[in-house]
Amino acid sequence: MMTYLRTVSAVALCLAATTLTASAADPITVVGWGGTWDKAYKDGVWDKYTEQTGTPIVQEEWGGEVAKVRAQVQAGNVTYDVVSTEAPGMEIGCAEGLFVPLTPEITGDPANYLPGTLHECGVASDTWATILTYNTDVFKGDSGPKSWADFWDVEKFPGKRGVYAQAQFTLENALMADGVKREDMYKVLRTPEGVDRAFAMLDKIKPHVVWWSTTTQGIQNLDSGEVVISDQFNARITNEVVNEKKPYAIVWDAGFFYGTDYWAVVKGAPHEKEAVELLKWFSIPENQAGFSKLYAYGTGRKEAAALIPADWLQNLPTSPDHIQFGAAYDNDFWTENKEALEERFKAWQAK
Amino acid sequence: MAATAGPTGRQHRQSGILALLVLPLVLFVVVVFLWPAARFLALSVDNSDISGNLPRTIAALSGWTPESGLPDEPVFAALVEDLAEAKRAGRDGVLAQLVNQRIVGTRFLVIKTAKDAAEGKLDMRPISESLLQKYPGWDSPALWREISRQKSAFTDYYLLNSVDLMRGADGGIVRVPAERAVFLDVLLRTIWISAVVTVICALLALPLAQAIVSAPPAWSRLMFALILFPLWTSLLVRTVIWIIVLQKNGPVNSALLGLGLVGEPLNLVYTRFSLYVAMVQVLLPMMVLSVVSIMRRVPATYMRAALSLGAPWFTAWRRVQLPLIMPGILSGAAIVFVFALGYYITPTLIGGPTDQMVSSYIAFYTNNTLNWGLGAALSLQLLLILALFAFLYWTASALLRRRAAA
Repeated sequence: MMTYLRTVSAVALCLAATTLTASAADPITVVGWGGTWDKAYKDGVWDKYTEQTGTPIVQEEWGGEVAKVRAQVQAGNVTYDVVSTEAPGMEIGCAEGLFVPLTPEITGDPANYLPGTLHECGVASDTWATILTYNTDVFKGDSGPKSWADFWDVEKFPGKRGVYAQAQFTLENALMADGVKREDMYKVLRTPEGVDRAFAMLDKIKPHVVWWSTTTQGIQNLDSGEVVISDQFNARITNEVVNEKKPYAIVWDAGFFYGTDYWAVVKGAPHEKEAVELLKWFSIPENQAGFSKLYAYGTGRKEAAALIPADWLQNLPTSPDHIQFGAAYDNDFWTENKEALEERFKAWQAK
Repeated sequence: MAATAGPTGRQHRQSGILALLVLPLVLFVVVVFLWPAARFLALSVDNSDISGNLPRTIAALSGWTPESGLPDEPVFAALVEDLAEAKRAGRDGVLAQLVNQRIVGTRFLVIKTAKDAAEGKLDMRPISESLLQKYPGWDSPALWREISRQKSAFTDYYLLNSVDLMRGADGGIVRVPAERAVFLDVLLRTIWISAVVTVICALLALPLAQAIVSAPPAWSRLMFALILFPLWTSLLVRTVIWIIVLQKNGPVNSALLGLGLVGEPLNLVYTRFSLYVAMVQVLLPMMVLSVVSIMRRVPATYMRAALSLGAPWFTAWRRVQLPLIMPGILSGAAIVFVFALGYYITPTLIGGPTDQMVSSYIAFYTNNTLNWGLGAALSLQLLLILALFAFLYWTASALLRRRAAA
């Protein structure tokens, strides 16, 4: 509803603006993940673009459903110009030809991007990580959990665990706790025995889990003391620690998996050309860094890191200190297996 | 004119005007509710996204059996032709998703083959050889068997799936593997939770309604307002408040700890208990309203007469009051039960994973995995249960009326 109101008012404002100044450009519709994420993009990136070029940006919010883009393209009624989509959505959309391919002329030299942050049809909007976090009021000083094995060890670290109620992230964490190395993760998960092994690990911790399905709920369970250790998206914990001064710590060296969302231009979008121009502008390191300065997710261009203050950079999963403990989610694996594994996970949860 | 029209003419005109007045409502219900709902439910048996996109391949596969190994050259040629056309029509994505649902790990195989086929990269003869060389994934009898079964534009795949059944290797109906079986449990659970909530609501509503009816008017109005109050609050707010009240450091646990009744905080939230509490609070007003409205019509003198004739209080209540207010309890129960069946937000927020009801699975398949066929099949299931209970309610109230008339 808020998005709707926001969009309507933004459109109304833009219409008013066009009638006043005939030269003002059409707004570009940019679809992001909503909430503080969208706000960081607005404050750190899009406002700057409007200031420099006069082109207004209208923000919309979605849940990354590529089927929506597909429906728009098929109906010949595209309303989105630029969307941020998770990697599996990117893979599917690009393979199906829903997104405009981006040349190095637009994105800049691919060699200047961190691995996995540039796609045939997209440029990274953010690189996020799913990390292990705990309450430092409960486990003081050096007594906190240090690994995913510790996350599973309810004898040594008593208290409920917060776990994201979905197969992706959770299966990886379970196998890390069972001693699987990050580099072997998808070799293991690609076998039926590997999946069974992950579920067997989950069986062990099930009685001690409080599930969360929205980040807000996950944070609320930490706040209320319902859980003492949790998995979470790294930027959400940083937000709580930095802005709200809450007693949570991120255990980067326990190991983490990271994923990248990409900006993509929808083929046949009402402002396709302008949208490509926008991404060309966005591919300049200074402009990319605008988001990461406000939100603790990484960005594509390697040069961007140097533009981020050092004390803030250490909150990013892509910072040189942390990236050594991370591994990328295997997008091919999750694109094909997500449906089956999420369904099995949901069935397992309900037993 | 009016004089000659007579009573029957006026009646006709009246019913004509009535029909005109109702027409917008009927149109509205049909256009924004019945039609889209029927379209959605039809997805539960729709197979045209597979059968319609692979017509030549499926036709060429007639007569082929998995025992005879990989299909012949004409089948591969038909496949390439079908996929090229699907790609040009923009249907390759849907097709790939549906094939991947049935045989996991084939999504990119279909998408990439379709792309190459549309670009004419796969017309080197023999096609079977060039295709298998580039995409060895097609060397799978299971995949071909699945495709050969998609002749019809209709499928029972989703309906079977929604009751934990599937087609086995020989085409017969078998149970799905235990680790995937979930829907029958969820279905029984949904009915059970709704029934328990209905019974609790009825038990709480009876004394409440009696108090409201017997109290002086001012008190009665106040009590009524207090019961209606939750109805005016957002469902979301009410549910979240219960999370705060019941959580580990919440007021209930603090009180229990303070009184020394428990040694450590109880797990109250994210349990079946918290789900019942939140659902009863939300649905209780419906039951109370329904019972109060009928209780007001029962004269208090009946109970007094029964008591003065020497019946113990409970006997008098059971044999005089209860039968008279039964229609109110029944209609209240019907409303509460039907509302409870479709509950989604409350179980999601305040229940644990073993407290989720059918609606949460419908939402999961429609929004999350985009398996609309299964979402529609589960919706149909819910609708059938509703129809069944509507029938039971109708029978029960007809029986009551007949007994009252006798």
